[in-house]
Amino acid sequence: MELETALQSAETLLQPLAVEIKRPEPERVDVYITLENLKPAVQTLVDAHWGYLAAITGVDKPAPAVAGAAPDGDVEVLYTFANGGALATLRVRAPYTDAQIPTICDIIPAATLFERELIEMLGVDCIGTPDRGHLILPDEWPEGVYPLRKSFTGLNQE
Amino acid sequence: MENPESPQKFVVPIGPQHPALKEPAHFEFSVDGEIVTGASVRLGYVHRGIEKAAEARNYPQGLYLVERVCGICSHVHALSFALGTEKLAKVVAPPRAQAIRVLTSELERLHSHMLWLGVAAHEGGFDTLFMYSWRDRETVMDLLEQMTGNRVNYSINIIGGVKQDVSDEIKTAILKGMDFLEGRMTHYLTVVTTDETFLGRTRDVGVMTREQAETLGPVGPTARASGVPIDVRVDSPYAGYVDFPVNLIVDDGCDLLARFVVRIKEMQESIRLIREILDHLPEGELAVRVPRRIPENEIIQRVEAPRGELFYYMKSNGTDMPERVKIRTPSLCNWASVINLAPGYKLADMPMILAGIDPCFSCNDR
Repeated sequence: MELETALQSAETLLQPLAVEIKRPEPERVDVYITLENLKPAVQTLVDAHWGYLAAITGVDKPAPAVAGAAPDGDVEVLYTFANGGALATLRVRAPYTDAQIPTICDIIPAATLFERELIEMLGVDCIGTPDRGHLILPDEWPEGVYPLRKSFTGLNQE
Repeated sequence: MENPESPQKFVVPIGPQHPALKEPAHFEFSVDGEIVTGASVRLGYVHRGIEKAAEARNYPQGLYLVERVCGICSHVHALSFALGTEKLAKVVAPPRAQAIRVLTSELERLHSHMLWLGVAAHEGGFDTLFMYSWRDRETVMDLLEQMTGNRVNYSINIIGGVKQDVSDEIKTAILKGMDFLEGRMTHYLTVVTTDETFLGRTRDVGVMTREQAETLGPVGPTARASGVPIDVRVDSPYAGYVDFPVNLIVDDGCDLLARFVVRIKEMQESIRLIREILDHLPEGELAVRVPRRIPENEIIQRVEAPRGELFYYMKSNGTDMPERVKIRTPSLCNWASVINLAPGYKLADMPMILAGIDPCFSCNDR
């Protein structure tokens, strides 16, 4: 019952900002939001002390795979918050043509490592993130090559 | 001594190769005299691209792959992947398999915590405790080898269940091992809470208050030692934890000492749970069939690894290979807490504070 209460409170909190709310699994609520509502949504959850940020997941969605996506494809970014057994996921989309999302590090400082990973592995720029240095990839890694994009199949060996 | 004309900070680089740090990471501590004023971290020296590689392998191959994310907590990775795949395919492993998975998880927690106890004691200059703890850890390693055939990558999970059964002979051996370890745990708890020299290195060092913990978002024993009651085994029971509940261990000490106490008490709880599982092991099959191709679906699976919450996001696309596997390991969450806690403490305390979160570098560099 606690689980249901937590999920409902997340729904109530995020309702005004959401484009769509879904329940894909019994313990999960997925909230689809637009980019400009990302920071207010994160702030709302933090202000309400609704759990903690468990992970930021980037999912590459090249154009043909998804109907209705941006013409060049996009990266869907999932901000998953965990509150006991309940999980709330904020889902935003960053198109390839303008792969920029605002940082949430000013609200949740611990997000810095997740954002650095997102920047270098999926090429989604987190505007305003405090530390932009390489976290995982080698120093000599070429600019603009993002290993977790579906289009990446390996570096050219010369 | 601060030079008013030069606002530059003095930076002490540590790693990726350093005598005081056995694993490859790079830290930059800016210091004012002995006192740390800032810290930053650089990982990735042994990054293997496992998330990407998993997209090009089918589910059974992926299981072998993710088991190799970490050499200490290999079982939890395989377990999350197996549970995740089962959720994607909408099948459930039989109760006996789920109980054996929990049994292996708890044995793994025991050896992982003992490994940590040794490493942390060594960082604190208490090598006797390190040697005792690693000697006793061999008891668990031998049991795991006897049960699964392997000391490290036990490979007991398959998608849909487990491969190995627990025979009466193994059961007797495990129970005997637990009797021995129970006595050792009582001893360790006494040692870390009473040895004055050691207390000097742990008491009131690396303090993270509950409020800080809630903002910085650490997980597992690091959070529980700051009084934050989170444990996936309790909050969202998976596998056999539904039938064999664990008791949540929290401590309000908030310092390094509390992190020792929480982990040792967790080992005592693991011993209790292992005995309970062996006494009430459900009868029945070890595995169910899972289709090769898995319809489009998306799941999040969380598992309590020895270091805290392990997070798997998995997406299937109708083929026999996953579309995306995201692995967020507990150490990644705990780093943020260290980086933010370091300022204000002595440079000499850094190895202990780092060891206090039980960092796992191969988990970060998956």
